[in-house]
Amino acid sequence: MTESNPLSPMKARITEIQQMTDIEKLIKLRFQNKTDASNFKYMPGQFIKLGVMGVGEAPISICTSQSDEPGLELCIRNAGRVTKALHNLNVGNTIWIRGPYGNGFPMEAIEGKDLLLVAGGLGIAPIRGVLQYALHHRELFGEISFLYGVRCYDLMLFKDEILDYFRHGDEKGVKLYLSYEDESDKVCYDLSCERDDRCTQGMVTKLFSMLDSKSNNSVSLIGGPPIMYKFTVRELEKMGFQPDEVYMTLERRMRCGVGQCGHCIVGTGKSIKYVCKDGPVFTLWDAMNTKGMI
Amino acid sequence: MTESLYKVITKEELSQFGYALRETGTIYAPVKTSKESHSFKQVDTLTEADLEYHRTMIPPKKFFISPKETIFTFNKEKEEYNETPAVNEPLVLFGVHPCDINALNLLAKVYLESFTDKYYSERRENTTIIGISCTPDEYCFCKSTGTDYAREGFELFLHDIGDRYLVRVGSLKGYNLLQKHASLFREVTEEDLSLYRQAEKKRLASFTKSLEMSGLQDMLDMSYNSPIWEEYGEKCLCCGSCNLVCPRCRCYDVQDYIDLNLNTGQRERKWYSCMLKEHGLVAGGHNFRATSAERLRNRVNCKGSLKEDMTNCVGCGRCSAYCPAGIDYVEILQKIRGDIE
Repeated sequence: MTESNPLSPMKARITEIQQMTDIEKLIKLRFQNKTDASNFKYMPGQFIKLGVMGVGEAPISICTSQSDEPGLELCIRNAGRVTKALHNLNVGNTIWIRGPYGNGFPMEAIEGKDLLLVAGGLGIAPIRGVLQYALHHRELFGEISFLYGVRCYDLMLFKDEILDYFRHGDEKGVKLYLSYEDESDKVCYDLSCERDDRCTQGMVTKLFSMLDSKSNNSVSLIGGPPIMYKFTVRELEKMGFQPDEVYMTLERRMRCGVGQCGHCIVGTGKSIKYVCKDGPVFTLWDAMNTKGMI
Repeated sequence: MTESLYKVITKEELSQFGYALRETGTIYAPVKTSKESHSFKQVDTLTEADLEYHRTMIPPKKFFISPKETIFTFNKEKEEYNETPAVNEPLVLFGVHPCDINALNLLAKVYLESFTDKYYSERRENTTIIGISCTPDEYCFCKSTGTDYAREGFELFLHDIGDRYLVRVGSLKGYNLLQKHASLFREVTEEDLSLYRQAEKKRLASFTKSLEMSGLQDMLDMSYNSPIWEEYGEKCLCCGSCNLVCPRCRCYDVQDYIDLNLNTGQRERKWYSCMLKEHGLVAGGHNFRATSAERLRNRVNCKGSLKEDMTNCVGCGRCSAYCPAGIDYVEILQKIRGDIE
């Protein structure tokens, strides 16, 4: 992004591509311009506009936490026109980036708290950034529990990391809980046999029964499809979470990312918000005040 | 400085002023284009303009956000793009109504406050806005929205007070313009002031349409699931005309166009409409506003929003006047209020 025009992208090159599932790839990239690289500061939960010239741009969550490592990781599902074009690219190809945009999760404001992370499907992308941040600054946070719901093992994202947390998370400071929907899934079934206190067949909401009761100093950060929010929020409320202790990240059509193009607007005359600029992270209290948000 | 920021110019001398304004920039003024339609068009002299017009179909936003513009051209092989430079042609917009000036002020908040859009900022910088008072027709309800008066966002404002205009200065640029053509203007007399009082009284009394705004935001909020949206959603053609003619609507789409050589092309930004089905569609196929009722509800709520410190609607009446389905925006809100059945 140049100062003169927020719609001007920065050049980046693909350095690595990892096929994560049939429809999702992890694309690692590096800015071509050193100034762009050093100016690119972001928080978990923020997003970028990722573009292929001649095709267009798509909003993509950043799935890492800022570290000394140069470059950026993006988990991209082949779901639309632009992401399909992105899936056809190879290592060494150029892509174009604007951002970072949005508010991100308020990592500094929630320091000292126990974290309950809940992710479903592709919603793990922003939540992974939160987890990395928290583990990177482990001393700043209390207990970390991470609930991840997948349809089946084949569709599980970041498999190696997830399995590592599943088996060795306790030593690293995160308790990982896993749910899977597909009853016939052999690998997940084996995982549930391996630790029946951490893995079960069912929706992600089923994992709540495995959790200790809520501490009086905890927040929940969630990412997933719209339908997941409704059910997850119900569980969180049952546990005693206050509406301002639940943070969720929303998806909308976003053309500009800078609060101008109007596509991501939600709410009523009393509560109109731009998801790209005022969010994409909102509290449950925001959602209660903004009709149509979840 | 004790120079008064109020002056008077006679209607006869206004045409001279209009002629002199050609030094300042290319003049665009409301021109009658058909029996019921006006448009801001380039004029050489003000005699071509109809300064007693009610509204232009397309609002003056077209001078600041182009209906379609190239943001940059790109070359895939060379892996580069070239930003389109902002246009620097100085413009004079002559005869802009208070509702449209207020709408431009709201657009400036969107385009200039958090991320500065260089096209908008340079165009505004290069534009001289001369406002003019008006008399409402059956669609105008700017008095209700509090936008029948422009406090800022113009260089000079002309209040028609009979055979002359009371001139208000709205910016330093306007002040300098006035100084430059000082011989055409004179000081305000007691008589002028009295004529201004009468003219304002007459203007205020001539409104036939009104909308009570108090409490509207909460009523809209509580009417989220009202059957009203279905009722009007069924009438609505989802053509997006209301968005195009709205001086405050500023949704845009961004699209890439590639040339036949499959190498070069351009990224374009163009006006878009929240009434079109794709507006809320995301990759994967989920549409956050799939039905016309949902889109209509979103549009009315967006217009009725107090987000920018004042309502997003300036009461110009265009969306009702030009709706091919005959949907009246004020009528929807009056139903929300329970003022009519």
